[in-house]
Amino acid sequence: MVKKLKDMKFGKKAIVRGIDDELKSKLAGMGIRVGKELTFKTKQPIDGPVVVEVNGSTTSMGIGMADKIKVEVID
Amino acid sequence: MKLLLIGHPNVGKSVLFNRLTGANVTESNYPGTTVDYTKGYMQIDGEEVELIDVPGTFSLDPKDKAEEVAVKMLKDNEDSIVICVIDSTKIERGLYLALEIIEMGYPVVIALNMWDVAKDKDIEIDLQRLRELLGVPVVPTIAVSGWGVKELVSKIKDAKPRDISKIESKVEGTS
Amino acid sequence: MECEIDERWKLVDRIAEETVTYGDGKTTLKDAIAELTVKPLTGLPIALAVLYGFWSFFSAFAGFFTDGFFVRLFDNHWLPWLQGVFPGKGSWYYFILVGDPAAGNSFEAFGMLTSGLFVAIGIVLPAITAFYLYLIILEDSGYMPRLAVLIDTLLHKIGLHGFAIVPMILSLGCNVPGVAATRTLQTKKQRFMMITLLAIFIPCGAQLGVIFSLIPEFAGIILLYLLIGFIFFGFILHKVIPGKSPEILIDIPPYRTPSLENVSKKLWVRTKGFFTTAIPFVLLGVGLVNVLYLGGVIDWLAEALGPLLTTWFGVPKETVGPLVAGFLRKDLAVAQLSAIEMTKYQLISSVVLVNLYFPCIATFIMMMKEGSERGVRGVLEILGGSLLVLATVLFIWGGLLHLIWIMMGVA
Repeated sequence: MVKKLKDMKFGKKAIVRGIDDELKSKLAGMGIRVGKELTFKTKQPIDGPVVVEVNGSTTSMGIGMADKIKVEVID
Repeated sequence: MKLLLIGHPNVGKSVLFNRLTGANVTESNYPGTTVDYTKGYMQIDGEEVELIDVPGTFSLDPKDKAEEVAVKMLKDNEDSIVICVIDSTKIERGLYLALEIIEMGYPVVIALNMWDVAKDKDIEIDLQRLRELLGVPVVPTIAVSGWGVKELVSKIKDAKPRDISKIESKVEGTS
Repeated sequence: MECEIDERWKLVDRIAEETVTYGDGKTTLKDAIAELTVKPLTGLPIALAVLYGFWSFFSAFAGFFTDGFFVRLFDNHWLPWLQGVFPGKGSWYYFILVGDPAAGNSFEAFGMLTSGLFVAIGIVLPAITAFYLYLIILEDSGYMPRLAVLIDTLLHKIGLHGFAIVPMILSLGCNVPGVAATRTLQTKKQRFMMITLLAIFIPCGAQLGVIFSLIPEFAGIILLYLLIGFIFFGFILHKVIPGKSPEILIDIPPYRTPSLENVSKKLWVRTKGFFTTAIPFVLLGVGLVNVLYLGGVIDWLAEALGPLLTTWFGVPKETVGPLVAGFLRKDLAVAQLSAIEMTKYQLISSVVLVNLYFPCIATFIMMMKEGSERGVRGVLEILGGSLLVLATVLFIWGGLLHLIWIMMGVA
């Protein structure tokens, strides 16, 4: 099932299926890219940032960015 | 000849810088500690060489001022050799940055830092294969203890610009 | 461009596939703490505890050394000795260097070598050491980025983002490195907002040290009033200033045990750096104010500004002296204020005023330096902009406090 990253539940794993073009280069350096598995760690309340883990690195990004990433939940 | 020390924030770059130059730069465990670059000097085969500790950057597509400085340092010093410091436990995104630098035509030496932490985490890295595929010197280091730093220094001379398409065909040829 | 990124990543993944094998990666204690400190349910209480710890450690450590050691050293030994041996009682140089010959403690004497040294060494040194020790441990352990994530929800609403916590906390030590740290923010708007807000609202460690040591009972209310001001004016600036406020995007490093070597090295470097600039400025500040007193300038200023101070801000006109000194050192200004006779509400108001009004000279220079990267125009923009905001805030926020006292019937 493909959904937006920001709509994921924490503790779940997903494969990144799409990233908006403008965001792609920003996230590339942090190791977040299409086809990669990520774990959704937490989400802060009142539209705060989300925290994801990719390849053992933890990254936090604003909810607006998480809105522009599509993922396929696998677990 | 100039040397640029480039890598992600928080990979022990400043510690390595201290090791190489005998300087006394302190570090912190969060990104963006080094906002300005720091300069120092080191000896290679009796020759004094300038080493610049570039602010940590995740890619060469800058998203803040510290990263802009990193990109500018690269562009202003086109004839430099780059020591790319990679966190051995996060090798993929480190390689991504290394490839970006190689693509720009700089001779690169890769320091796989925090080698001990990778060992602790049961991460195994086939150094020989990595060297073959990349065609650039790859040296495991533990900056905090100084392990591997000597070897790193001895490999700096071996750094040569590498055509990215050669790396591609190497990888294709084996899979 | 997009292609390039995907292709590069494809290549990286191919290389990694062939050369890297991951073990089963046990979950360590550090990993578990890492999770707990960033999840809102557990992270927020932990953050509050960490900040409360900061507060307690700061006041306990500073109190221990200041009251337990330096007060005795200065009051019982240094001051009587100096008053005894220093020649020329009643002369102008005695007034400038030693101050009041009848003073019973180093604090009220007000000479460069008495109050000046006491404030710098007796109060500020312990405060700044305590502050940096705690901060460095937070920094080296890797807690700061987690704090940034937790606070982002709030800070993003005022156009900054979580990482602004780094310049904010650094400013609590000294505004100068705080201003420098705004470089990690992305846009011109964010940097301008942060520099302006921290120069106006964030008291430095030296100032906090004096507040905690002389008027600890008002520390809470003063800081709370400044914090509310920070958020309120931050929100307004966010609406008024054009420009982008990008979202947070940060890497969260794993926890590490701080190394004794790095902590002590950093503590030494920072305390020394702070101290070598602080001592001359504190001494100069005391000297300057004393000279101005002797020349009658302070009295003249007090008369000229008196109506404004008393009617708008509700503080006595004698606060002019400390306000002048505050340009050189704010810690000194607070120390001088506490020696002036006034009600506790006036004291709170005047300490708040010292905070809000003009940044100290070192911060001022640092702000110019930040602007200068974009030439003369950059300097004018940052100084002009900041000073305009500052004047507005000073009048509104300083006047509002007076209004609050009036409504409470205590002014």
